[in-house]
Amino acid sequence: MTSVNPYLFFHIFIVTIMLFVMGFYCIFFTFNLVRALIGVELLIKAVTLLIITAGYVTGHMALAQAIVITLIVVEVVFIVVATGVVIGLHGHNGTLDTRKLRNLKG
Amino acid sequence: MLSFFITTPLIVLMILNLPFRSLMKRIVFVVGLSLALIQAVLVALAIFGFWDIYSIPVSPMLRFNIGVDNLSLLLLLCNGMVVFITMLVSRSFIEEGEKRFNFTSLLLLSFAGVNGIALARDIFSLYVFIEVVSISSFILICFNKDRDAFEGAFKYIILSAIATIFMLTSIALIFLVSGDMSFEAVRAALDNSAHTSLVLMAIGLFLCGFFIKAGVVPFHGWLADAYTSASAPVSVYLAGVSTKAVGVYALIRIVVTVFGFDTPINKVLLFAGALSVVVGAIATLTQTDFKRMLAYSSISQIGYIVLALGIATPLGIAAAAFHFFNHAVFKSLLFVNAATLEIATGTREMDKLGGLAQRMPVTGVTSALACLSIAGVPPLAGFWSKLLIIIALWSSAHYNYALIAALASLLTLGYMLLLQRKVFFGSVGDHLARIKEGEWNLIICAIILAAVTVGVGVLFPFNLCKLIIR
Repeated sequence: MTSVNPYLFFHIFIVTIMLFVMGFYCIFFTFNLVRALIGVELLIKAVTLLIITAGYVTGHMALAQAIVITLIVVEVVFIVVATGVVIGLHGHNGTLDTRKLRNLKG
Repeated sequence: MLSFFITTPLIVLMILNLPFRSLMKRIVFVVGLSLALIQAVLVALAIFGFWDIYSIPVSPMLRFNIGVDNLSLLLLLCNGMVVFITMLVSRSFIEEGEKRFNFTSLLLLSFAGVNGIALARDIFSLYVFIEVVSISSFILICFNKDRDAFEGAFKYIILSAIATIFMLTSIALIFLVSGDMSFEAVRAALDNSAHTSLVLMAIGLFLCGFFIKAGVVPFHGWLADAYTSASAPVSVYLAGVSTKAVGVYALIRIVVTVFGFDTPINKVLLFAGALSVVVGAIATLTQTDFKRMLAYSSISQIGYIVLALGIATPLGIAAAAFHFFNHAVFKSLLFVNAATLEIATGTREMDKLGGLAQRMPVTGVTSALACLSIAGVPPLAGFWSKLLIIIALWSSAHYNYALIAALASLLTLGYMLLLQRKVFFGSVGDHLARIKEGEWNLIICAIILAAVTVGVGVLFPFNLCKLIIR
């Protein structure tokens, strides 16, 4: 707790906020299936950074590392499945535009 | 001992995917079926000593005599039962061989994940198991690879990813405060720290994540699409256990065990629950697709569970858990009936159906029982849970919410009778004259679930007496 450099924490915080903004921008405003997944990746990276910082600040680096490694594995599986679904959608629709996803309504 | 519930399905899954594929393909159905059945029977009988490990009851009221003494046991029971039903239903929809092998493998993975959610005792494992269940649900939804299924799955994936981000951010903030992950340590840390804006933000983000995963009203967009576009056995599983475990059970667990009840949390839960009850019920009235109607009804019933949780008294928590169980039973039953209809008539549009009770007597009767149970007609199981919810609301002086719950119950009766009248009552059209009852496996599923609904409803008053006397 005592040896934490406040400037480091501040910098990481700024980077995390930037990653969050970029990720949500990718998901909600680019209207592209692959970019939406890239946005999800950015958001998970931001959270990973936040967890590592939390571990550094509280002095529980070992636990933080274990959590982050598990998180990376889960994220990879998630993104593989999501990419498979995107490939399937591209095969059916012939486009990656999210605005074409209007088949289900009501 | 308890870890067997997670490891056994995983080990079975690994053994099934070793060589000898042709042998494994033949036994996979029986193996999956018996695993689920063994779990349901073990929990329902509760004869083994290892249940005592976690016998600290969540609330003093939670010791129902239907074989459940804890929230985890309730989820384990629902999981075993619904997976058993899903397997039986999948026999009619997914052909023998490679496809059924893949389906059963995914279902077993999800089964292990739900058991993990039930038994997890720290926040991060809870998150990991939630992801296991979600990811296998994504693949199951687009199992038939048609266009609607991919679309529904993609919506679910994006919203689920956002929910994941919320939960992880909240976990990071909690980690910053407590420095540990287990439920007890986090609880102690949150109790000691004053409720600063950081802690409040963490709790709010966590609740938002669960609301998205459960499909509570501001975030319900994905639920109807995913339920409708999935194939019939998958809808049974999604509606019965998957989204309930991932969203509702985890919400109850985290709020009761970790965050504890606090005035802002209660207000949020009560408001979101009531909104969900009303909006879900109203949205149901305009639907023409059988499964879509059931999906919106699901949103409404999830609202009841969240509403009951927000009361924050032991009776409220018990009512939430009881409605959770009842919902798993009667919603699975209705989706089984939807599957039977789909296979017999080839359509789910309610306007094209009618008078099917004469042609399909078992489906008609069980569906009527499920509808009456959802609507809260005595003496079926749904009546008692709704009665408990309204009593709990009234006794804790939430008169407005009690009124909303009672009126929405009438609305529920309305739309369920509408569904019955459109599909099962009236005269048979010419194009439906040759419809026959479904196959034996679908009929067995419907009869088992209807028997559970009626049995729990009829036997419940005796247990209620015990609760009041004690």
